[in-house]
Amino acid sequence: MRFQDAARDGRAVVYAAIQADPLVARAAELLSGASQAERVLARAVMNGESLDPERWRAMFPTLFGPDPAGDLARSEAVLAASLAVADRGDQVRSQLRGAIVEELTARLLARRAPAAAVRRERRILFDGVPAEIHPYDVTLEQPPAAEAFDCKWGARGINADVLHQLDDARIHAQDEDESLVVALVIFDAERSCRVRLDAQSAPHERTRLVAIEQLDSLAVASPPAR
Amino acid sequence: MDGTTIGALLDSAIEAEAALAELGESIDDEWTYVGDLQRAWTDRLADVADGPLGALPASPAVAEAVRLAIDEAGLVSDPHRAIDWLSTLPQVVLIAVGGET
Repeated sequence: MRFQDAARDGRAVVYAAIQADPLVARAAELLSGASQAERVLARAVMNGESLDPERWRAMFPTLFGPDPAGDLARSEAVLAASLAVADRGDQVRSQLRGAIVEELTARLLARRAPAAAVRRERRILFDGVPAEIHPYDVTLEQPPAAEAFDCKWGARGINADVLHQLDDARIHAQDEDESLVVALVIFDAERSCRVRLDAQSAPHERTRLVAIEQLDSLAVASPPAR
Repeated sequence: MDGTTIGALLDSAIEAEAALAELGESIDDEWTYVGDLQRAWTDRLADVADGPLGALPASPAVAEAVRLAIDEAGLVSDPHRAIDWLSTLPQVVLIAVGGET
């Protein structure tokens, strides 16, 4: 099993520009330290129609009320960054959201691994197996077990292709006596992800699900691959 | 919504979920998922409404939060975004009322 940078094709060039948008780094950094309620705020605002911050503050009284449960300054920063994303056009907003989930995943992983081990847009190659067309969003390339992550904004992004790619990689690694943990990182509620997964016939029993409630677990070492 | 209970607010959210589902179901490929998603969240909202939290009076701030969240869902006209909101609305509402998602 070996890792390789994805080809610098047209898609990669366009996507690199999106990933390099300063708003992606700003939002991901804020969300990496956010509470679950702040992450749901970000999800709602980036999915929403309204750009009036006062409406959003009123929708989250636990964050912005007279006795806020968390760090008011951080909640305000999350709101401002989320509104900046929502203020972009539909297509750009959608691309930014995906890039933010990937950057957030990478930043959380970097809390438990050297930064150089956390890689983006990588392919995983196995002897005698044709390479997958789509690279993995984020990989953690360090022994004893490498990890591969596919990141999605919402549960609806879970589909058969993604599940097959992750599980195939896990099996190919196993065939080479290597260990590869595969995971989906979904910026959506676990309940919604489970509904989506329950309807999938593609294998996913060995694919770890990291939903919005479990994002902080990315900063903690995964259980060993079985 | 003065004098309302948290249970009544959650009932309103269930109605808003039904409207989002109706919009989302227009995406043929997602018809089953939309129905399953609506059912899962409706069950969760109903569980909280029927539990100890549901009988409690809602503060004006919580009532306003839920009203605004439902209003926001009502602004959605794109069926793809409606599917996103089918999952997002109950999370916002449950956080506002102090329930677990």
